Amino acid sequence: MTSVDLNSYLTFGYLGWIIAYLITALSGRTAQSARHALFWLLVTLFIVHTGSIGLRWAESYWMGIGHAPLSNLYESLIFFAWTILLALILVWKRFGSDMIVFVGMPLVFIVMASTFLIDSQIRPLIPALQSNWLVAHVLTCFLGYAGFAVSFVAALLLLLVRAWPSASALFPKKTTLDEIVYRSILVGFPLLSLGIITGAAWADHAWGAYWSWDPKETWSLITWLVYAGFLHARLTRGWSGGRTAILSVIGFAAVMFTYFGVNYLPGLHSYF
Amino acid sequence: MKKNIRIQEPVSTGTGSRFFFITKLFTSVRTTITLLFLLAVCAIVGTVIPQGELVQAHGASGPSFANRLVLILDLNNVYRSWWFTSLLVLLAANIMGCLLKRAPLIIEEWKGTTKKSSFSLTFTDHRSVDSLRSILTESVRGVLRCNPETTDSENASVLKWERHRIYLLGFPLIHIAIIIILIGGLIGVFFGFRGHVQIKVNETSSSYALLSTGEIRNLPFTIAVDGFTLTRYPTGEPKEFRSDVRLLNNGKEELKGSILVNHPLTFQGISLYQSDYRVVGISRITLSVANEKGETETFSINPMEPFSLKDYPVEIKIRGFDPGSTQRGAGIELVVMEKDQKPVTLRLYENDAHPVKAGPVKLSFRGHEPTYATGLQVGYDPGSRVVWIGSIMLIVGFIFTLFTNLQRLQIQLVRDRSETRITVSGRSKRMRKEFRESIESAVKTALEQPR
Repeated sequence: MTSVDLNSYLTFGYLGWIIAYLITALSGRTAQSARHALFWLLVTLFIVHTGSIGLRWAESYWMGIGHAPLSNLYESLIFFAWTILLALILVWKRFGSDMIVFVGMPLVFIVMASTFLIDSQIRPLIPALQSNWLVAHVLTCFLGYAGFAVSFVAALLLLLVRAWPSASALFPKKTTLDEIVYRSILVGFPLLSLGIITGAAWADHAWGAYWSWDPKETWSLITWLVYAGFLHARLTRGWSGGRTAILSVIGFAAVMFTYFGVNYLPGLHSYF
Repeated sequence: MKKNIRIQEPVSTGTGSRFFFITKLFTSVRTTITLLFLLAVCAIVGTVIPQGELVQAHGASGPSFANRLVLILDLNNVYRSWWFTSLLVLLAANIMGCLLKRAPLIIEEWKGTTKKSSFSLTFTDHRSVDSLRSILTESVRGVLRCNPETTDSENASVLKWERHRIYLLGFPLIHIAIIIILIGGLIGVFFGFRGHVQIKVNETSSSYALLSTGEIRNLPFTIAVDGFTLTRYPTGEPKEFRSDVRLLNNGKEELKGSILVNHPLTFQGISLYQSDYRVVGISRITLSVANEKGETETFSINPMEPFSLKDYPVEIKIRGFDPGSTQRGAGIELVVMEKDQKPVTLRLYENDAHPVKAGPVKLSFRGHEPTYATGLQVGYDPGSRVVWIGSIMLIVGFIFTLFTNLQRLQIQLVRDRSETRITVSGRSKRMRKEFRESIESAVKTALEQPR
């Protein structure tokens, strides 16, 4: 079995998990044991996902073109799904909120399913990507993105609860959601900063300029500015609830544009 | 230190209302937030409008309104425009203002002279000050993992714990780092340069063209290119671009090395980067010649010199070369001169399946060795070191802020007749609720345990 097959099975695994959660919720089985089983099922899927990334890494070495599986859109999507899943599991442990995980899982599923549409072949590394900065840069950026993704999911839930107060019994408490919106960004922001710094260091090494206002760089800065604004508004102006939730949604839109939208603009990150 | 801060105070009380307004503007976080969002919106403009394109100032019917707007606002060069730079300078000034305003508070907090506390609890117990001191020291150690500073007096004792004072450095480090990074960027804009030079293999150059204006400038040394190699993977994708160069000063070799993508060469502070390459000609051509009997022979020839066939009175001259713009691959144009015949011009392509008839023989173009010109990026940026210092400060600042937490705890024990009054007050910069809960439970369990 190749890592590409494994990723296909995982995609259906995630869909299966979402359905299993729905069935448990609808059948009214909110017992601790059912939640426990769902948690460990998700952790198992996460371990398989980790194994799949490791397998792809090994496969590239068997092909004689060994490199970390972070070198094209397919590999980055698989890794993005992995980081979101990691963040969701951490939120489940930290805040005990399985609802957030349920609302976040479709995001993981969509990211995994989108890989069906694109070239999944392992390609050799082009000269521009042959650098030790690759792993540091991609790792920090995507871990940051995962934090923002979780904040976005919590923000959506919070806005939903605010719009329909009658449904609030179904959802986690507003204060918990607000905490998750804020704390995920608190983790994501330094990681994004580190991602931008490692990217700048790499650019300085490869292109001779740490900053060239290429669209991807510019959009990562726009994302950074939005979240910097979020943190200052929250920490010094006392913004919370709906206003910060909207900022979190705007920030995640900027993240998505940095990741995908920029590909439609000309620039140096054309291989991603 | 303290004297400096005292000087700040008359400024904030202000002499005139306008002065007061400006001071407030520069020390307000509301300004910071506005600037952050404004910068984000302005940065989007530059990714939507094409950058670096020249705008026609005078059309047939004079400049259009849109063109005039683009020129006045530098919309074709947003990130170097006067208004974008002003926003960045304003941001730096505002961060500086906020830092100065908060510096006295941070120093006070560092010294521990502040009286603020996050929570305060009182208990009473019948045990003596001495025994309570030892019980509480032991149980608080379980939470704060350090020993208190104790001040004893008659019938009273004050225990003080302090942890992670370094947390207080996080905030100034992060914000000073941003200012330093912005200063580094400005140094680069004013004192650095970026250029490009294209040099043919076996040739030299000591000048480059500025990327921004195209102006030709001189380098303090000469670059001699000894070779350029392009290696491919079996799948055809490029694997390595390598320029072998020597750097000369007045004809004397100073440095010899290779420049690869992701492996620049730096000399006298100026870095050379592999940027691109171009095929500018051919050094050798491989032709195969099939005679009437069907025997084939392959030759490698120098394209500069005419070439005669062995057994036939035929001379061949290469007239032109096409590096391969179509699916037929690289092509050559050659003139076949047979004795007593009119010269014939032929075109051969590398990927053609069938040989082409040339007088008594048939010719095929088998391969060629191109001559390259390597494109090098030339860069000098004295500000980049400043930017890296700022970046490291930023990372250290984040580590302090996220992984440390200033916690202060004071327990006062006062013996009052048959009872000891216990006052617990604590201060935590982050996770206040968690801190209060853990201290409260530690103190309660210590007091509840039997003697």
